[in-house]
Order: sequence, then structure tokens, then C-alpha cells
Amino acid sequence: MTEPVKTRILVADDDRDILDLVVFKLTQAGYEVVGVADGSAALAAIEADPPRLAILDVMMPGLSGIDVLRKVRANEATKDLDVILLTARSRDSDVDAGFATGASDYVIKPFSPRELLHRVNALLARGNG
Amino acid sequence: MSVGQVLLIADAVIGLSCASSVAVIAIAKFGRDRGGARSSALLAPYRHALIAMASGEDEEGQARGVLFAVSAPTWDRLRPSVVAFLPKVRGAPADDLGELLRSHGEIEAAKRMLISRSAVRRARAAYLLGLVRDPDSAALVLPLLGDPDEDVRLVAARALGAIGEPSAARGVLHALRTQHGQIGLPAWVAAEALLSMGVQIAPALQIGLASEDPAVRNVCAVVAGLGTFASVAPQLRILLATDSEGDVRASAAVALGRVGGAEDVVALARHTDASETAVLRRTCATALGDLGQRESLDTLVGLLGDGDCRLAALAADSLVRIGSEGIARLQEAAAATRPGPSARAALGALDLAGLRGQLGVSGGGA
Repeated sequence: MTEPVKTRILVADDDRDILDLVVFKLTQAGYEVVGVADGSAALAAIEADPPRLAILDVMMPGLSGIDVLRKVRANEATKDLDVILLTARSRDSDVDAGFATGASDYVIKPFSPRELLHRVNALLARGNG
Repeated sequence: MSVGQVLLIADAVIGLSCASSVAVIAIAKFGRDRGGARSSALLAPYRHALIAMASGEDEEGQARGVLFAVSAPTWDRLRPSVVAFLPKVRGAPADDLGELLRSHGEIEAAKRMLISRSAVRRARAAYLLGLVRDPDSAALVLPLLGDPDEDVRLVAARALGAIGEPSAARGVLHALRTQHGQIGLPAWVAAEALLSMGVQIAPALQIGLASEDPAVRNVCAVVAGLGTFASVAPQLRILLATDSEGDVRASAAVALGRVGGAEDVVALARHTDASETAVLRRTCATALGDLGQRESLDTLVGLLGDGDCRLAALAADSLVRIGSEGIARLQEAAAATRPGPSARAALGALDLAGLRGQLGVSGGGA
């Protein structure tokens, strides 16, 4: 009997602790998770094989999460990808900028891993509905 | 000995010195890398447990059991990783990490270290107590707001904000004052700390708004607005009308825009008068938009033609934010038969509102 195909999620964060934590949390929840440590690797992974959802840290070396999001939205093959921005930037203007760039959701650090999982589940359920 | 020989020996000495310096650096780097690798290898078995605890995926308590039982030497190596995780998560995982630190005696050690002779240790102790949000620590951290070291005072204020103990609010306000040669806390640090303490700081704000120190009054006014402390609106009105400091009056105006009501329109409108400073006029025009009262319409329309283009633009933006009636008045101004500054400000605001999606279809063509 073949196993059901798991929903694939990409996580990009240059903070090793957060990357490991989010990958672990989502893996435990039954997702297939790919973790990368910078924006360029995130963009390459998304373009090579688009996941169902991407969680991007905003402040990463090289390409920021916002840069990656902009390129994702500009690409016909990936423009509908669900993207959650995960960031320490909590000012209203930062949140507005994130949504204006096309983020599907915005999670502020420090964050509750449980809440992040709920948001992932909700976005994916909305996409399936 | 000839000059040539002396130079040769000098060259040799310099060469040897350089070579030995390079060797020392290389050995130190190698030793550090090796030490780091050894430390990582030692911690590897605990990394998984730490991530399980920090992600809230330890329902059966296995990770907790492992981490709570580590030996003292292992804990010494593990502690920085635990402390590094704490500011990154919130909720139950943060509580669990705090409990882990407590079980290894870190909280008690930090409390003792608050009176260390080393400023770095005092700051680290306050930082840790703030991270674990231990309410019993607030009274111990509070005296550090008067610490001779500026960095310690900053860390203490942030720690008190993180702990969120409202009884510390008056101490934070007091620390804003520059006294005995000590520069007071930066306003934004104090404001952030106060905002983290919640609604119970209202009595401290009321006292602060009547302080003799303008820095204290200013921060209290800012916090009153950001934290929507409506109970202090009467004092904000007094500050707007009478305070000797322009900054305080402007902060009071901003706060009234957030917590005031229709009764504040007249006062805010009066302070858009040309006799006031540009800063206060602009602030009040924005605050009228924040209030969102239709009684502000005439004042704001009157400002569209002001010689201060920035003020006119802010008035136009406030009209948009008031809603359909404000937008209608802007459209009237934009359609004026003789285009002038008013029409330009109105058109600019309508264009921006259209870009932001604040206009309906009928308003988009203005």
C-alpha cells in the first residue's frame, strides 16, 4: 500500500534555531518540510519545485523574504503560492508592507509554534476549499 | 657589525614575529573551532529535546525529562542554547523553557547577580529575569533603573516591560529624568516598557502627565495614545491647551486623536490656526482625521488651501479617513472652477485614496 502524498512546505530562515523549530513542528504535524537558510536558496527551491506553502523570514542575508515574495508573485508558475512572512518587524507599516507585497499571512516573532501551525493549517484548508 | 648586517637581522626578527603571530592566530582559531565542534557534539543529543520543548511538541514529557536531568557540566554548555531560544517563542514553550532555567537554578543565580560588581553581569541577570517574565523579580530589577551604568538601566527597563509588572511603571517614569549626571532612559524604551505593562498603569500615567519634567509628561502622553488610555483624556486636553513644551502639546494632540471624542474637535481645530507652530498644526490636522468626527469637516476643508503644503496634504488625508462625507468635500474642492492649492491637495489625496482602495467606483474618477 502506498503512503498518501504529504503536503510540502518550504521554510526559509537564517536563524538556525527557528529553522529547526519550525521544520520540526510542521514535520510532527505530518507535513513534508524543506528547510533552507537564505533567500536565494528559498527562491531556487520554490522555482525548481513549487511547494504548497512557503514560510519566509523577512530579514535574511542576500535576498530578503520580501524580495523572494516579490519574485514569487511575479512568476506565472508560482504567483498563487501561499506565503507566510515570519518576522521580528512588528510595526504596522512593516505588516502593511508585507501584505502589500502579497503575503498570505504575517506572523511576528516571538511567535507561538502552535499558532503558526494553526495558520498553516488554515491557509492550506482555504486553498483546498 | 655593518649596517647591512643590522638590517638583515632586523628583517629576520620582523619576519619571525609575523610568522609567529600568524601561527598563534591559526592555533587559536583551530582550538576554538575544535572546542566549538566538541561542544556541538556533546550537545547534539540534547538539541532534539530542546527543539521538541521549544516547539511545544513534548506532550509526553520525554524532552522535559531529558533536559531537566542533565548534569551540571552539561547544563553549563546547554544553558546558552536555552537562553537563545527563549526570546524567539512565546506561549507554553516559553513557559517550559523558563521552568527549565528555574530547575537548574538560573533564576535564583540571576537574582543574586543583580547586585554583582560587574555591569555586564547585572545586565545579563536583568535580561534573563525579563526573558522568563518572573513577576517576583520585578521588585529586584527595579533598583537597576538607577544603576550607574547606562546599559544596565536600559536592560532593566526592557526587563520590567517584559515582566509586565504595572507596579514598576512609576519607577520607569522616574528613570526618564536626567539627574545626578545620569542621562535618563530614552523615551521610546520607557514607552515600550510602559505599554507592555497593560491597563493597570493608568494611575501612574495620571501622575506622570502632571510631572514637572517635560520628558515624563511627553512619554505619558505618547503611551496614553498608543495604549488608548481614555481615562486620561481630561489631562491630555489640559496639556494640549496649556503645556509650555511644544513636543508635549503635539503628543497630547496625537493621543487625543486616538482616545478623544467629538468634544475634542474644537480644541484640535483651534490648534491648526496659523498662529501655532507648523508641527502642532500638522499634528492636529492628522488627529482630526484619527478622531473621524464630521464636525471637523469645515476646519479640514479650510486647510486645503493653506500655504503649508504638507499641512494641506495631511488635512486632505484626514478628510479621506473621515469617510464618505469627507471624500465628498474633497471632490467638491477638486472640481473647483479655478484650480488652486486646495484643488491640488484634494486631487492628490483622492489619487492616493484610490490607490489604497479607499474610494468606491464613483469616487475613483475625481
